[in-house]
Amino acid sequence: MWENLISYMPHWQVFMQGFVAFIIPFLIFKLFNGLLLEKKKNGKIEMKEYTNQQESDQQFSQETVDQFIGDFNKDFERMKKELGHNWDVHFREFQIGATDIRAAIIFLDGLADTEQINKHILNSIMERFSNTSASFFTEGDKLQSIMKNNISIRDVLEESTVQGTVGKVLTGYTALFVDGMPNALMLCTINGKTRNIEEPISEAVVRGPRVGFTEKLSDNTALLRQQGENQQLSILQMEVGKRVKKRLVIAYMDEIVDPELVEEVKKRIQKIDLDNLLESGYIEQLIEDNYLSPFTQVQNTERPDRVYGALMEGRVAILLDGTPFALIVPVTINMLLQSPEDYYERWLPSSLIRLLRYLAAGITLFAPSLYIAFVSFHQGLIPTKLALSMMATREGVPFPALIEALIMEVAIEILREAGLRLPKPIGPTMGIVGGLVIGEAAVQAGIVSPIMVIVVALTAISSFAIPQYNAGITLRMLRFVAMISAALFGLYGIILFFLFLCSHLVKLKSFGVPYVSPTVPYRVGDWKDFMVRMPLMTMKRRPKLLQPKDSVRKGEIRGKENYSHDHQSKR
Amino acid sequence: MVIIINYILATGILTLPRASVEKVKTPDVWISVFLGGIVAMIAGVIIVKLSQQYPDKTFYQYNQDIVGKWLGWLISLFVIVYFFTISAFEVRIMAEVTSLFLLEGTPTWAIILPFLWVGLYLISGGINSIGRLFEIIFPITFVIFLLVAFLSIGIFEIDNLRPVLGLGVMPMLKGIKTATLAFLGPEIMLLLVAFMYPSDKKKAVKVVLVGIAIPLLFYVITVVMVIGALSIEGVMTRTWPTIELMRSFEIPGLIFERFESFLLVIWIMQIFATFTITYYAAALGLAQLFKKSMHPFLYGLLPIIYIIAMTPKNINDLFKFGDNIGHAALFLFGALPITLLLISKLKGNKA
Repeated sequence: MWENLISYMPHWQVFMQGFVAFIIPFLIFKLFNGLLLEKKKNGKIEMKEYTNQQESDQQFSQETVDQFIGDFNKDFERMKKELGHNWDVHFREFQIGATDIRAAIIFLDGLADTEQINKHILNSIMERFSNTSASFFTEGDKLQSIMKNNISIRDVLEESTVQGTVGKVLTGYTALFVDGMPNALMLCTINGKTRNIEEPISEAVVRGPRVGFTEKLSDNTALLRQQGENQQLSILQMEVGKRVKKRLVIAYMDEIVDPELVEEVKKRIQKIDLDNLLESGYIEQLIEDNYLSPFTQVQNTERPDRVYGALMEGRVAILLDGTPFALIVPVTINMLLQSPEDYYERWLPSSLIRLLRYLAAGITLFAPSLYIAFVSFHQGLIPTKLALSMMATREGVPFPALIEALIMEVAIEILREAGLRLPKPIGPTMGIVGGLVIGEAAVQAGIVSPIMVIVVALTAISSFAIPQYNAGITLRMLRFVAMISAALFGLYGIILFFLFLCSHLVKLKSFGVPYVSPTVPYRVGDWKDFMVRMPLMTMKRRPKLLQPKDSVRKGEIRGKENYSHDHQSKR
Repeated sequence: MVIIINYILATGILTLPRASVEKVKTPDVWISVFLGGIVAMIAGVIIVKLSQQYPDKTFYQYNQDIVGKWLGWLISLFVIVYFFTISAFEVRIMAEVTSLFLLEGTPTWAIILPFLWVGLYLISGGINSIGRLFEIIFPITFVIFLLVAFLSIGIFEIDNLRPVLGLGVMPMLKGIKTATLAFLGPEIMLLLVAFMYPSDKKKAVKVVLVGIAIPLLFYVITVVMVIGALSIEGVMTRTWPTIELMRSFEIPGLIFERFESFLLVIWIMQIFATFTITYYAAALGLAQLFKKSMHPFLYGLLPIIYIIAMTPKNINDLFKFGDNIGHAALFLFGALPITLLLISKLKGNKA
């Protein structure tokens, strides 16, 4: 009895391995946990410092008198002290009409519109009052209203602090000082340099509007408004950046969006604590849920129609001044394989194309790893003839399949990256020539087998069939992981990798929405717009996963649906 | 629902034909399988009824209410041991099959360890992640399984299934017990009912029935196909008859000539499903028993599962081990829930 039991006692190595089984994930867990904790701590400390600073700022501003005194000479001198060292700030002193009342304007060369300043400010002040006497102006309060009423500029603000005036001048306003007037008048003459509206380069479509966002925020919001009259489109302004203040707007459809989502977006944006945000990519990285994940959790797009479509589904868009890329949250994995064009073409072709994209994604991810697995582990699983011909072509290749695949994959990645940076006319030619030549020469030199070249070429082409650029990169990146796991464990390694990927995806959330939805949990209603795109007339409801307030897109079933939805929300 | 399906579908697909044929020795195995499924359904309904008595609690929490603190504690411990033993068993079976068909020469520990880690990674996301993952792999399983099963129709011979009931009813009845063992799985409802949405709780019975019916369909198809193609004698001499079936036919002209790789892919996914859910159940049990957070138990269970998985010396040991787990399950989840249900009803009446 005892001997029998003892014979079942595992070897000590097994205990060691058991220990290893425990210690490795435990260490990894500790490591990541440590990283996360550190991040949180840092965030907290920074927040504290920030609030302290704010308090001290406030104290500072209370102590020193920041207000204009009302004395023209002194106020103007102060402005000169604040701004005079800048080459592009212009000061212009003059006298009103024929009187000896002194006035001055301050403006920023380039940002302020010179034509407006000449025509509407200087002209009206100098010439219109050429016949009026000085006594007409001297009654203090009257001066201001006269000025306001005689300058034909659409936005005129009063500003009583030095700091405020400086800030405004630096964004393109023209400041007007008049002797005897207590405040400065801020005249809106902003005319920054923008480019024309062009077709977005990163997201070309065959059919659809040829309009892309520009770098100017007001143009971009205007593009959204232009999509049609809609009172529900709300555009909220926020400010980001500690040192360089930048405008940012959050756009959403009032009666469609889930209010909690909007609150969450606002909360995360307010948490951003950075000097300067150059591009919306900064925001994307600072508000995403999991910064360790290889998947993009915020979608970026240059296309107004895409943003509008997302808004109508109940998503939220974030637009930053100075970049043509708008952000859309929350993102689900199927969005990465959709193009706005899918909805413009008829449903059969676009469904087919969409299926093709899923296939392409699969090929991108698994083709090289399957090749490695079959060549180095399971020759028996492929047809005998194919296996024989594969072996024959591989005969002269001195490397194992993994090295062979890595050589080619890395080469093609480098070519792709180089092609991006090359001047436009050379880029494509370079890419094709380089790819062909390298492939051909590598085969002839016996470094790789021809089948490997086919696999790599197929993979590369497939990865460009994915409409979202960054999603394509994600898949390309993961492809290397798949290749390595295939080299270690063959088909089993690929299955494990797949399971690991799925495990990661099901854990991932984007703004409270599971990343893998609508795949799971099963919402058959949402599947109409998943792998295939059903005819528009069947897509009567918005995606449920976003919990829209008004779930019906089309009229017919509205009455009933609203009722049942109210019911649900109560519960 | 998907969780149950994935849980049940595991080793059974590969071994059920042989195990049951050895017992029955007539071509009527599929009837046994069918009846086994029905037995499992009855057990499942009882378990759900029991859980519905305490809708917000898991089994580990409410059994102490029924039978008192110490006895309940003991029962919970047994259930926990059962869960992690079965997960170890699944892992070992997976390792055996993989090293036989996919990775000759790779040491067992190298196969098991990554598998354990991936499982751990998933489980740390909680029951929702597990459920979602199952929902992803279930359609894949479903499609590939049907595809593979119907491709094998070419070597299917109806004569191998005849005569129906040729040797009477008795051999068929003998097979029921073995068949029922393949349907282990509804016991997870002891825990899951607590996690369901309140509105879905009433539907739990239906969930169990559907959840068992689908694997039942899979099993019957498998058994019929395997016996039809390999005949009774052929099945008894093979360790993994289902894979042998897939190996025995070739369809030239398609990209793949042999389809056992497909079957193995979905089968490994199913094993992964069973492994994760039992692992989760065990860790949850420990956490609730000691009223602590789950993470330390998740990590603590890893080496235990690994050592148990490595204990059986060879494949025959492993199958014996599996049988013993099955018997334990019959007691734990056949007899125990009825008793508990009765006791709780009696208590309820008194109160």
